[in-house]
Amino acid sequence: MERTRYFTFARRIIGNLFRKPATVGYPYEPVEYPERMRGHVEIKIEDCITCGLCARSCPSQAIRVDRKAGTWTINRFDCVQCGACVRGCPKKCLFMAKGYTEPDVTKKSDTYTKPHDEEKEGKRGEEKPVMDVTKCMYCSLCAKKCPQGALEVNRKELVWKVDREKCIGCAVCALTCPKKAIHMEKG
Amino acid sequence: MAKRSIVPFGPQHPVLPEPVHLDLVLEDETVVGAIPSIGYVHRGLEKLVEKRDFKQYPYVAERICGICSCGHGLGYCMAVEEIMNIQVPERADYLRTIWVEMSRIHSHLLWLGLLADAMGFESLFMESWRLREKILDMFDETTGGRIIHSVNQVGGVQRDMDSAMLNDILRAIKDIESQLKPVINTFLQDYTVQSRLKGAGVLSREDAIALGAVGPMLRASGEPYDVRMLGYGAYKDLSVEPIISTDCDSYARCEVRLKELLQSFDLIREAIGKIPEGSINVSVKGNPAGEYFVRIEQPRGEAIYYVKANGTKYLDRFRLRTPTTSNIPPMVEMLKGCQLADVPILILTIDPCVSCTER
Repeated sequence: MERTRYFTFARRIIGNLFRKPATVGYPYEPVEYPERMRGHVEIKIEDCITCGLCARSCPSQAIRVDRKAGTWTINRFDCVQCGACVRGCPKKCLFMAKGYTEPDVTKKSDTYTKPHDEEKEGKRGEEKPVMDVTKCMYCSLCAKKCPQGALEVNRKELVWKVDREKCIGCAVCALTCPKKAIHMEKG
Repeated sequence: MAKRSIVPFGPQHPVLPEPVHLDLVLEDETVVGAIPSIGYVHRGLEKLVEKRDFKQYPYVAERICGICSCGHGLGYCMAVEEIMNIQVPERADYLRTIWVEMSRIHSHLLWLGLLADAMGFESLFMESWRLREKILDMFDETTGGRIIHSVNQVGGVQRDMDSAMLNDILRAIKDIESQLKPVINTFLQDYTVQSRLKGAGVLSREDAIALGAVGPMLRASGEPYDVRMLGYGAYKDLSVEPIISTDCDSYARCEVRLKELLQSFDLIREAIGKIPEGSINVSVKGNPAGEYFVRIEQPRGEAIYYVKANGTKYLDRFRLRTPTTSNIPPMVEMLKGCQLADVPILILTIDPCVSCTER
């Protein structure tokens, strides 16, 4: 049984009268954010290959990717800042930035459009997966992971085919392959 | 016999952080019965498990509750890992344990603040929440989020802590511990606090067990039951002893939570001292098939997670029995015979988390 006392908190209260406040005058005073803070999602749009893996991994379905128009759209009010898209991105063009986005009265989306770069376009189009027949065991993991469904693997007939029209050169197949049988090659 | 009347309590009430409704049956000023009803913050998060990839669901599970978010993610991930026979790396277990203990500190400090606020002791409320802010800052530094941490994933954790971060945590808890002393003295010894808590809401040990009380509520009635004793995560290597009190009243519940705070500091220190090197997650292949129950000790008590998987990437069922759900019947029992003025404090002593309860 603890004994009863009076005015136990008085010393602390008097001390607090002469101390600096524990709060800061945000937003007039800037706040220092820690290095790992998940504030909002940013994109380096010039590196994006519009594969759509981020949209697929997003639990709140806040991201839309339009391949034809070359746009990447995020609804800032649906986004829950979990960072799943950042981990899902094969090109590492997404990253979590510090600081929060501005408040607003309407739910608005931010759209980023890929810059039209002929030279880059051509280069990216050239990079396609090539398979080493000696290493491949036709496990079809690459086909399962392909965001565009551009690969066709048939284990019985030992067929490995890539649809060059559909393929976007994201290299997810090369990263997935357990035997490292796939590499990216021009032409 | 005095005339009976019914007074509605909640869902909006200054003392309630979340909406729960009670119909209080009164005889004059004395409560003779209470009929609870919930349903104000139901969001259908359990159903969402059928529409989200099982690897995405930890993010949803975390959002069931803002205070025990780390524990919900952990409970779900543990259940799926058991179904898929995944052995989580030792380091991941330790990191999870450190984060869960940190969230226990933040939950208990939050509760202490709310209790002080319910008594009208505003300066004590501010002091508790100021200390809690240090823990939230540590969460921000180590996980990237103050409330929703998003660190648990099926197969381990997403982020590692380097030695500088671990030292920062040690420094923060040392700081909190030194500043917590006047707060503990006030809660346990101050006349004002004692006059509000002592003898209020007595729940005998037999009643607590029969009505299914869990967590600090059960331990304050003298039953040494703590799920951490099962040794999940890194608790198998740490010295966990259930903290009990035999007074069975609101004061005992406050005492148990205060002592659990000190226990959490020791557990974090011990875990940081013993943390092994190594990887923090393993890659997960395939989809889960089967079902599993997991029990973990949340700050409010024992939470049960049930997961049923069907071999596809979408699960069949996810069910969560939260501590508040099982603490409501003892609360109703405890309210019988108390004065109307004591009702807010008694409701608060179970540490109700209505968002968890309704999901």
